Amino acid sequence: MARRVVVDPVTRIEGHLRIEAVLDDRGVIRDAISSGTMWRGLEVILQGRDPREAWAFCERICGVCTTVHALASVRSVENALKIQVPRNADHIRNIMALTQMVQDHVMHFYHLHALDWVDVVSALKADPAATATLAQKVSPDWPTASPGYFREIQATVKKFVDSGQLGIFANAYWGHPAYKMPPEANLMAVAHYLEALQWQKEIIKIHTIFGGKNPHPNYLVGGMACAISMQGDHAINIERLNQVRDLITEARRVVEGLYVPDLLAVASFYPEWTKLGGGLGNYMSYGDIPQNGIDDPAHYRFPRGIVVGRDLSHVLPVDPTDSGQVREEVAHSWYDYPQGKDALHPWEGVTKARYTGPKAPYQQLDENAKYSWLKAPRWKGLPMEVGPLARVLVGYAGGRSDFKEVVSEALGRLKLPPAALFSTMGRTAARGLETRLAVRWLAEEYDSLVANIKAGDTATANTKRWEPESWPADVKGCGFCEAPRGALGHWVHIAAGKIANYQIVVPSTWNASPKDGKGQHGAYEAALLDTPMADPERPIEILRTIHSFDPCLACASHVIGPNGRKLAEVVVR
Amino acid sequence: MRTRGKAPVLVLGVGNALLRDDGVGLRLLSDLSPEGRSWDAEIEFLDGGTQGLALLGRIAGRRALLILDAVNLGAAPGTVHVLREWRDCAARSATAHESNVSELLAVSTLLGECPEKVAIVGIEPHRIATGMELSDPVARALPAALEAARGLLLELTEAAVPEVERGRKPVDSFGPMVIPFGMR
Repeated sequence: MARRVVVDPVTRIEGHLRIEAVLDDRGVIRDAISSGTMWRGLEVILQGRDPREAWAFCERICGVCTTVHALASVRSVENALKIQVPRNADHIRNIMALTQMVQDHVMHFYHLHALDWVDVVSALKADPAATATLAQKVSPDWPTASPGYFREIQATVKKFVDSGQLGIFANAYWGHPAYKMPPEANLMAVAHYLEALQWQKEIIKIHTIFGGKNPHPNYLVGGMACAISMQGDHAINIERLNQVRDLITEARRVVEGLYVPDLLAVASFYPEWTKLGGGLGNYMSYGDIPQNGIDDPAHYRFPRGIVVGRDLSHVLPVDPTDSGQVREEVAHSWYDYPQGKDALHPWEGVTKARYTGPKAPYQQLDENAKYSWLKAPRWKGLPMEVGPLARVLVGYAGGRSDFKEVVSEALGRLKLPPAALFSTMGRTAARGLETRLAVRWLAEEYDSLVANIKAGDTATANTKRWEPESWPADVKGCGFCEAPRGALGHWVHIAAGKIANYQIVVPSTWNASPKDGKGQHGAYEAALLDTPMADPERPIEILRTIHSFDPCLACASHVIGPNGRKLAEVVVR
Repeated sequence: MRTRGKAPVLVLGVGNALLRDDGVGLRLLSDLSPEGRSWDAEIEFLDGGTQGLALLGRIAGRRALLILDAVNLGAAPGTVHVLREWRDCAARSATAHESNVSELLAVSTLLGECPEKVAIVGIEPHRIATGMELSDPVARALPAALEAARGLLLELTEAAVPEVERGRKPVDSFGPMVIPFGMR
């Protein structure tokens, strides 16, 4: 008899997400619904505004994955107006994007995902000396690994747990049989979690140096809003460049010495999760981190491309400006489209919300009707997964040596075949592997920036087409980037100097997408299929897979509350 | 003369000014901070917006912390809450965007950095919805909340800053800073 498991809200993500899973009588998931709310009001707010300030509005879509919308926005306007940004601006933007990715990924692992694999309460039973031995083996390059250190951490956590309030450790199923790590590994992971928390506020200073503040550092159509001058107190001078260099060095130490060893250690305890959660098998990356300007995708550090059906022998090209490629459908989404239109390219995009779902509070949604506030983006009619796994697979399949190196090393250490990548654990590992590349690239981008400055080039913005008088009367542009969670696109239509239309398709729209007109599932839904659940009352299996995508949906309100129930819901249409 | 390093007392306003009553903490902060000019220069006023755990570094190294925020305890809208035991509030937010003060304090405690004295002054919200204006019950509660905050700030400062360090005339150009982080 079919059982239905409802997880609402899914915790330890950004935004509001509801998952419904239909289980067969053996407890295996046979169908799944992903339903979410999404901030799309920006598209309305931007109508009629000056395209030069669109980035400032867009950036506020998300403060956790900050910078990405600002970057895609300025790029869309620069693309429309054919503005080429100076080399330094590209390097600075690359540094900021990679900084965001590194911080985001490390924090996602420890703060949002780790509790799916690490049993904090079990850590209290660990032997600190044995933990030290384990830590020294797993992360030999990490200095704090003495028995005394772990004893102290254990005592701190015990005091915390004993106070009756699990606090940040509350959203997990402690004692669930699905936790497979020994107490020592759990204590090590908890200690490293606390170290990561200390570190994360440091690396983000790179944004403050180049962008003035964080979250929401400043961008600029035409380049970046910072000046380079070795003489200026308020410019990017030697002192600030040295600070950036030190932060990058520290980031590399944390990624290589703490994050990736912990990730591989966790992966080694859960081999069955290299066979679950694979899902669609279609992967898309717009590519990013230009080396030779945005118009030369062949020289992006993250290559552009598409892999279909897990076929790593073919990488297909993708062009977000082609109206036959990226299109959004609304067959199962709470939106109306004009008569006769089933799928629209973002340049023709329409956002007309119409809720036809059940009245809250409701027991379940209807998978045969409309059931989500997310549209269903498709590439040539196919659903796509975006994000770290997509980027790593596109790089690997395309024969890029740096991608092949980090993937082969990880597969070798875990003694797994490439097929293991098509899984929840593969997706989780890919996040770590691209972070390894990102910290390397951070150092290279920094070195290139400094070399350019030394050669006498201090330009950070091209203001030749700043004035609207220099713009064409009617023009369209597309800006994109590879945000930590995946492919992000902004499409702008500028007429008479103002924004006539603006559409945004974010990574989580792709991944959390509902079914399309052909009934094809989105990435989350597909990834949940065929997953066995040990105890439907404690759906840890659903959380493990959903968290592997690092969902980012809407912004909810925050209010201090009495006992952790959902305190206030802001549904944005 | 102001001591080097961080001010020992931090007044932290948090909330989202774009979500009506959710931003009441920021309103309390901006109402309270001008008065700071007549206080010791040992108090820093900070708009923490919705930064959540990014504020960890800001609260570390303080002797006392006063938080101003919307506080939902199921009371009548506009009720002024004065919490001296923040652990009474659940430290669980549903999403990473719900920059929950309880979570911030819980993590700070775990890291061994939580200020010794922490108090929260807040107002029970009525309307959390997009908009800039406070709802009527919350707006009416501002004077009482401000009074409570004033009193608590005095209490916290006296406890945190020993007699020997106090009693200096504030230097006008060195007044407490309000650093805007959140959107207004």
